[in-house]
Amino acid sequence: MASGVDALETMPVSHDARAVRWALRLWFGALMIFLYLPIAFMVVFSFDEGATPGLPITGFTLHWYDVLLDNRSLLRAVGNSITVATAVAILATVIGTMAAFVLVRGGIRWPNATRIAFTLPIMVPGVLIGVSLLIYFARAADLPLSLGTVIAGQLVFTVPFVVLIVASRLQSFDRQVEWAAADLGASPRQAIRHIVLPLISPAILAGALISVTLSIDEFVITWFTIGAQPTLPTYIYTRIKFGVTPEVNAVATIMLVATLLIFTIASVVLGRARRRPDRRPAEADA
Amino acid sequence: MSDGSAAPAIELVDVMKRYGEAVALDGLSLQIQAGEFFCLLGPSGCGKTTTLNLIGGFVPLTSGELRIEGRRVNDLPPHKRNVNTVFQNYALFPHMTVAENVAFGLRMEGLPASDIGRRVDEYLELVDLAGFHDRYPGQLSGGQAQRVALARALAKRPAVLLLDEPLGALDLKLRKQMQVELSRIHRQVGTTFVFVTHDQEEALSMATRIAVMAGGRIRQIGSPREIYQRPVDRFVADFIGESNFLGGELRNDGPGPIFRLREGTELPVVPGFGSTRTTGPATLMVRPESVAVGPIAPTGPAPMAVIAGRAANVAFMGNHTRITVKTDAGVLVSIRFHESGKGAAEEEMVDREVHVWWDPRESTIVAAGDEPDVGEETGGG
Repeated sequence: MASGVDALETMPVSHDARAVRWALRLWFGALMIFLYLPIAFMVVFSFDEGATPGLPITGFTLHWYDVLLDNRSLLRAVGNSITVATAVAILATVIGTMAAFVLVRGGIRWPNATRIAFTLPIMVPGVLIGVSLLIYFARAADLPLSLGTVIAGQLVFTVPFVVLIVASRLQSFDRQVEWAAADLGASPRQAIRHIVLPLISPAILAGALISVTLSIDEFVITWFTIGAQPTLPTYIYTRIKFGVTPEVNAVATIMLVATLLIFTIASVVLGRARRRPDRRPAEADA
Repeated sequence: MSDGSAAPAIELVDVMKRYGEAVALDGLSLQIQAGEFFCLLGPSGCGKTTTLNLIGGFVPLTSGELRIEGRRVNDLPPHKRNVNTVFQNYALFPHMTVAENVAFGLRMEGLPASDIGRRVDEYLELVDLAGFHDRYPGQLSGGQAQRVALARALAKRPAVLLLDEPLGALDLKLRKQMQVELSRIHRQVGTTFVFVTHDQEEALSMATRIAVMAGGRIRQIGSPREIYQRPVDRFVADFIGESNFLGGELRNDGPGPIFRLREGTELPVVPGFGSTRTTGPATLMVRPESVAVGPIAPTGPAPMAVIAGRAANVAFMGNHTRITVKTDAGVLVSIRFHESGKGAAEEEMVDREVHVWWDPRESTIVAAGDEPDVGEETGGG
């Protein structure tokens, strides 16, 4: 596939090697189709002229995107989603970063168990979290369901992601750099502000961006904890019950693009941080 | 930088450091005068790095007293001490440029920006890195990173500069170059340098004074020459350079002290070179380059220490030849440096009966007690 495959790799080791390689490529193609064909259809249908999306495609139009902009309730749902995502990203980043410091530097007694405890919500099924939150809000805390409860609910599984990302960066952090800062006259507070935070900021930013993407399209937990105001996914879900309109395709396409964009930024930011040469290894020690 | 005050730059008084049960420093007392290039030398785990970290303020003392420029600083945190450190792996700030790295300490001090700029220029110039302002640490070679670390620490104009194995991460060639550089910089700024190393050659070539450490204690403090030529004990002799050790007995019943080998040969020793006053079993040390080898020992006005033996091996080593001689008292190594224009024929001596001899002023009694493991002993190397 790639150009510049070197000679050793293309040298057939058996007579069937060529055939096997083609079979693998075919398999790869089939997989990609399986994964992305539905999404591709959705994107294509969002530009289809027909009022009921489906094959054959009758013509290209931006009409549905136009309609979408006139749909007040949909725009409100988008607004709610953005509000929730922003709040979740900020809160998850702050809480998660602080938790990561505790985890890595708190000198806690069972660091591995604590790490698992911090990150377990990622593994717990959303339905379970959703139901338990609903019961908790309604029966124990006596909180009316609202966007606030949605934010709280989404924090349950976004904070662990931030903890994971920031903690792994902190773990690999060279403490000698902090010693150097102290040595040069920086108080502990100044060392954190001028040295530690800038150096782990890519991880913090990546955590924030991942929180945004997770929040924007979160459905299960949101569905259990939402009040009268829908977020975009719950809005789409309720609309689809009355029949799929090309409008929904258009919204979904916009969401797809936005999510991909944020995810790409997060990967680039994290990747750049990882590539930063963090200095040579120690050869001799005292 | 000294203001004429008589207080030493660094003073440790009976300092103890324990990590749980383990004793890292065992009652260390030490004075380092202003302007010295002082070296703490010793093997792994001897406490040298602990001493440095103690002075830097990175580890607390268990007991004792630490004074910097006469002021007790036992409990002062690192950012309030007037000392700066060059860390083993430089610990440059990777997200800052070279200039920002050097400026960091000055910014923390709250110096005005114009002064900071001037100081940064001055110290980058000092370490020969003028024009490297906008590079990032990731773009520097090991030697350059080392220089930045040096400039960053020196720019604070500390009372004492601490260097933790400063050349440990560099390759051999660069290390030799940096040894010369460090000496030059020390002469130029006049700041007290305290550096830690396990490399005896580094210590000998740069330091004005060396403290040889082992087991959390200081074995000997002295100039490089003193340490090399007059080691106080076998450990120091063994750790610094290569040594021949001979077991025997020190006698003092004639006109001068005599070292008597077990097989009977008597060697003259100089009074005061090592512990020559206590007679009895002892160990004599002589450096390989002080030992001469030949068919017959020269007879001169001054008595030589002479032992008969057989040349077991002659190895040509480029700039010197290494001759191993088996004697009844053990194996002795002699090193002869080649003089230009003279072709020596040492190879012919192999398997011949020879004599080894040295000027008694070159040997030292390093230990009371007859140590049985006499033979070819090589030190630090």
